[in-house]
Amino acid sequence: MSLVLEGFLNTIALTLLSFAGAVIVGLLVAVLRIVPVPLLRGVGTVYVEVWRNIPLLAWLVLFVFGLPEVGLKMPLFWTAFTAIALYEAAFVAEALRSGVNSVASGQGEAARALGLSFRQSLRHVILPQAGRRVVQPLANIAIALTMATALAGVVGVVDMTRAAQRINLELAQPLLVFTGAGLCYLVLAAGIGFGARVLERRLA
Amino acid sequence: MGRLFVAAVLLFVAGCSGGGSAVPGGSKIDALLAKAPVYTGQVTPGSAVDRIKKRGRLLIGGSQDAPLLSQLDPVTGELTGFDAYLGKLLAHYLVGKADTEVLSATSETREPLLANGTVDVIIQTYTITPQRAERVSFAGPYYESGQAIAVRKGTSGIAKPADLAGKTVIVGANTPGVKAVRDAAPTAKIVEFGSDPECLTALKQGRGEAYVQDQAILVADASKDSELQLVGEPFTEDPYGIGIKHGDAEFTKVVNDWLREIGKSGVWQDVWKQTIGTVVTGDAPAPPAIAS
Repeated sequence: MSLVLEGFLNTIALTLLSFAGAVIVGLLVAVLRIVPVPLLRGVGTVYVEVWRNIPLLAWLVLFVFGLPEVGLKMPLFWTAFTAIALYEAAFVAEALRSGVNSVASGQGEAARALGLSFRQSLRHVILPQAGRRVVQPLANIAIALTMATALAGVVGVVDMTRAAQRINLELAQPLLVFTGAGLCYLVLAAGIGFGARVLERRLA
Repeated sequence: MGRLFVAAVLLFVAGCSGGGSAVPGGSKIDALLAKAPVYTGQVTPGSAVDRIKKRGRLLIGGSQDAPLLSQLDPVTGELTGFDAYLGKLLAHYLVGKADTEVLSATSETREPLLANGTVDVIIQTYTITPQRAERVSFAGPYYESGQAIAVRKGTSGIAKPADLAGKTVIVGANTPGVKAVRDAAPTAKIVEFGSDPECLTALKQGRGEAYVQDQAILVADASKDSELQLVGEPFTEDPYGIGIKHGDAEFTKVVNDWLREIGKSGVWQDVWKQTIGTVVTGDAPAPPAIAS
């Protein structure tokens, strides 16, 4: 039973922490991609294209087995957290950027005509409008991230899927065990979906 | 550069597409087949043997990444190892030629694959346990294995399984080692990695103090890697069985009779010498006694 709890809590912790990390990094990258400085835009584009175009599993294996080779060894949980957060940040950045792009360009021009600086126009005009439009795309990413944490089980983290596999190894009842694990994921994902609806209504 | 890449991709695809091999390459298996028995008993219409004979091919649930047991040779595209060769011999016994198709099974899919008839047999280091025997029928055991401990050379303080208590132990994911460590040292922290090379790398990088795995695999690893050191003898007994659809007593008996026959005629021992015997020193052990 403690194994189930350990797996469940690890999955929740990995989901919450990696999503928080992904939002922070994703926000930075999104800003890089929209600032009117070509060099910074280039950096943002490279980040997104490199991170999202290599499978998460490859990143996890590279981080877990590659980083110690160059002298950087973190506990497995934090290694998985770093890889998942940096990977999902690319998707978050694109969701945020498309949210900003969805605000009509006239809005930005009007803000500038009123004498607002780039930062002020972002802060007071663009981001509040973009914010509510990105709630659902971000919820999609959060749910995908929840499912993606199962890959951490491959590199030694005892998440819910790994715990289910261990239990099944003894019980030999895969249908039962994995239906149970699936229901746990369903509850988590449904919670995210519910939170997103509440947040969307608040921002509207 | 571009041409090299295309060549690499083609090689990879070619390596992957070897699902069913009617003509097994390599002299090892050919030599074994020359001595292998063929089923001469009665065939009940509608039975498993009848079905397999009519299909002309044995469907096996197995692995492609287990060294010495069932590993795909990337050069020849042939599946080699103890489990793989036994599968071919069983196909030869039932249909008269070593025509097998190995479907990748995992510990999550083995029981359903048998129950819904996707595969005829599971030959995949499938340890016979009372819980599993309630969902599948086992022929055999065909091999008696044991989990052993390996450490980095120079590690002190680990001389027996109980010494693993409180330590971080690396174990192959979904192997009998998980339970073995928990039984021998309940306070040990278990870290699982998918494959043997990953476990080895993790041990060398200090992700754990010890690595628990099937002794034959550890012996093979240690023979290639001077950093690795085995500690003591195997501390568990894992009887591997051939998984069969639950309740099919007739087919179970056919497979058991075949196991007895190859055990007596020396084919079993030859298979052992060609596979596990290439890294474990000494003569082939006696094949385990068949349960029923």
